[in-house]
Amino acid sequence: MARYEADVVIIGGGITAALVAESVAELRPSWSVIVVEAGKRLFDFENRFEYRQRNLNYGENIWPGDFVRDQSARGVISRTMAVGGSALHWGGVCNRFSEEDTRLKSLYGLAVDWPLEWRDLEASYCEAERRLGVSGEPGPLPEDRRSEPYPMPPMTSTWNLNQLRTWAEKSGIPFWTTPQAKNTVQGYGGRGQCLRCNTCEICPTGARYSPDWTFKQLLAAKRIQLHDQTLVRRLALDDRTTRIAMAQAVREDGTDDDVQYRARTFVLASGYCWSSHLLLLSANSRFPNGLANSSDHVGRYMTGHLAFSTTVDLDLPIYPGMNEQHSLISRQFFRCRPDQPFVRHDLRIWENPGGRGPQLRDASGKLLLGDDLIADWRTRTTRGTARVRGYYDVHPDRDSRLTLDPATKNRWGDPMPVIQHRPDAASAARTPQIRAHFQALFAQLAKANDGRMGNISGLGYQDHPAGGCRMGTDPAASVVDTFGRTHDHQNLFVVGSPTLPTGGCTNGTLTFVALALRSTAELARSQA
Amino acid sequence: MKRRALLRTIAGVVVARPLGKLRDSESAASQVASAPAASLSESDIRTLGAIAEVVLPAGIGRQGRDAAVTAFAAWVRNYREGADRGHGYGSSTLAAPTGPSPAQRYPPQFEALQQAARDRKAASFAALPLAARREVIEATLNQPQPVTRLPARPTGANLIADFMGLYFNGASAWDLAYRAEIGRDSCRGLRGSDERPRPLGSR
Repeated sequence: MARYEADVVIIGGGITAALVAESVAELRPSWSVIVVEAGKRLFDFENRFEYRQRNLNYGENIWPGDFVRDQSARGVISRTMAVGGSALHWGGVCNRFSEEDTRLKSLYGLAVDWPLEWRDLEASYCEAERRLGVSGEPGPLPEDRRSEPYPMPPMTSTWNLNQLRTWAEKSGIPFWTTPQAKNTVQGYGGRGQCLRCNTCEICPTGARYSPDWTFKQLLAAKRIQLHDQTLVRRLALDDRTTRIAMAQAVREDGTDDDVQYRARTFVLASGYCWSSHLLLLSANSRFPNGLANSSDHVGRYMTGHLAFSTTVDLDLPIYPGMNEQHSLISRQFFRCRPDQPFVRHDLRIWENPGGRGPQLRDASGKLLLGDDLIADWRTRTTRGTARVRGYYDVHPDRDSRLTLDPATKNRWGDPMPVIQHRPDAASAARTPQIRAHFQALFAQLAKANDGRMGNISGLGYQDHPAGGCRMGTDPAASVVDTFGRTHDHQNLFVVGSPTLPTGGCTNGTLTFVALALRSTAELARSQA
Repeated sequence: MKRRALLRTIAGVVVARPLGKLRDSESAASQVASAPAASLSESDIRTLGAIAEVVLPAGIGRQGRDAAVTAFAAWVRNYREGADRGHGYGSSTLAAPTGPSPAQRYPPQFEALQQAARDRKAASFAALPLAARREVIEATLNQPQPVTRLPARPTGANLIADFMGLYFNGASAWDLAYRAEIGRDSCRGLRGSDERPRPLGSR
C-alpha cells in the first residue's frame, strides 16, 4: 500500500479543485498539496485540433477517454471524470448570480437565504474572474454593478449577434454579450487569444479557460502533486476526535493498488454528485448516516434550474456558423418585485442554424439534386433563426436527493449514486405561470421584427446542478458553514457546487468557483 | 424492364441489409467480416465522380466535384471502428463506440450502379449519359423506400445520400447556398468577425 502525507489533500480534479490548489499554493506556499482525481489527465494540448476535427467529421469524443466506465450515476448530466472535470467541456460562460439569489427568504419568503453577504461573494466573483480570465461587457443595469472591471475587454460581437441584438432590443429589453472565460487578448494567463473556432467544448488554441491549464502550470512549478486515476473510496476518522484522518483510495490504472492519504486538511472538490456520494459512502459507527451528516442533510436539497426555450424565425440576414456558442444575455428578469408573482430568469439569444440547412426533398416530397437542391436551400437563407432560452428559478425540496443505489455498484463494490431532483411545492406550483410568462415574453420578442415563434419547450433536466452539502449557519439544517467547512469535522471542507442552497437562474460555474475561492481563503487562514 | 431490374438490385443491397440486422446474424456477420477494406477503389472513385456530376451543384465545376469526391474518399479512409464517442450533455449514458465502417456496405451498392449501367448497355456507370445516370440515381434515392433526409454523416445505408450529405453539410456548400464566405467551423479570429461575411468569390 502506498501512503502519502500532505498539508492539504484535494479530492477531485475539476475546476474548483484547480483553483483551490492554485489559491492555496499562493496563500500558503510552504504547504504541500496533493490533488487526487479518479479520471485521467488529458494534457495532450498538441492534439486538440485533431480531436476537434475528428469530432466534427466522425462524432468522436472530443476528450477521448474522459470518463471512468463503472463510475456512473443515474441522474448526472455529464459522465466526464478526468483531470479538468466537466469544465473540460465547458462553454466558458461566466454569468454571476445576483443578490436576490442570496436573499430569497428575506425578499420573497421562498427557500432560504444564503449565509453570506453579497459584497463578500462579489469580491470572490472578482477573484474568480481574474483567475479564470473573463472577458466581458458590463451590463447596463445598476443592480449589476461591479467593484472591479472585467479582466479583459469583451469578445467581439459577431455580425450575427449584432443583428440579433438590434432585433431583440426593439422589444424594449436590453441585451448585451455574455461574459466568457475566453481570452480576447493574447497571453492572459499564458494562454492564446480566441480564434473563434466555433467549437468551445474543445478549444484548440487554449483561449477558453480549462482547468488542465492550471494543473499543468502548478505541476511545472512543483507546487502540487497530482495523482490521477486514483479513486478515493472512503474518508476515515481519527480514532479519538471528529477530524478526518485519512482518505482511502485505489489506483484505477490497472494496478489496483491501495493508497492512503493523510493530511491536516481535506478538501472535497468533487462536484455536486461525487462529494455527497463520498460522504455517504464513508459512514461508520460514529456517523452511521455518513460523514458530515449528523444533520441528515448530505445528499439533500439537490438543486439546479430549469429552462424554457424556443426558436424565432426572423427577417434578418443571419449566416449560421460564425460562432454559435457566443450569445446575448439580459438580466432584466433577475429581479422580481415582491408584490408580483415570483418569476426570476435569465434570457439568452444565440444564432441558430435550425431549419436553414440543405434538404433532400422539397415540401411536396420531390427529390432535389444539384442545382435544384441549392435553389430550394436558398429559399431558406434569406431569413435567420434565433434560439432563445431562459433559465428560471426552481428551489429544491428537502427530498430532492442523492442516495446510494445498492443495486448498482462499481467494480470495487461501492454503491453508485442516484440523483432525483424534486422542486419544492412552491416551485412546482409556479410552473404553469412561468410557462405562460415565457410564452408571452418570447412572443413579444418575435413580434419586434415580424418574427415567427416556434414551439416552446422545457428542459428535461435541471441544469448546472448543485447542492447536496448546502451551507448554512444552523448545523441542524445544513452540512457546511458559510466557508464550506463541515459542521461535523473541523478539517474537512466541501467546496463549490455542493454547497449552494439554491441553484440560481443562470449558469453556475463562476459561482461555484467564487465560493470555492472564498472557502480557500478561510482554509488558509484557519488551518495555518 | 431495366428500371424494374435496377429496383430489384437496389432493393436487394440497400434496404434488405440494415446494419443492425447484419450485426445480429451470424451469416451476415461473416459477410461484413469478408467485406473489402474500408477504402474506395479507383473504379469507385470514378463512379463517385459520375454521381457528383448529377447530385452536386453545376457551379462548383470539375474542381469542386473532384474535391468533394476526394473528401468523401478521405472520410472513408480515415474512419475508425471502435472509436470513443463519449457522452452527451444532459445524459448519464455513454455513447456506444463507432461501429464498422459504413463503407463496408458500399461494394454492393457500387455494384448495383454498375449493373444498372450494364442493363443499359453501357460499360460502366460513369459511361452512362448524364440523363441516364440521373434516372438511376433518382431510383436509388426513391425506391423501394424513399430516402427523405441527408445524413449528417455517412451511415452506409445509401451511398448516394451519404455522398450528398457529406458535401452539402460541409462548409463550402453552406457558403454556396448563402453566397457568402461564412466558413463554418473555421478558426476565423476575432478581428473582422463583426463584419458581414464577404460575398462568395469577391476576393
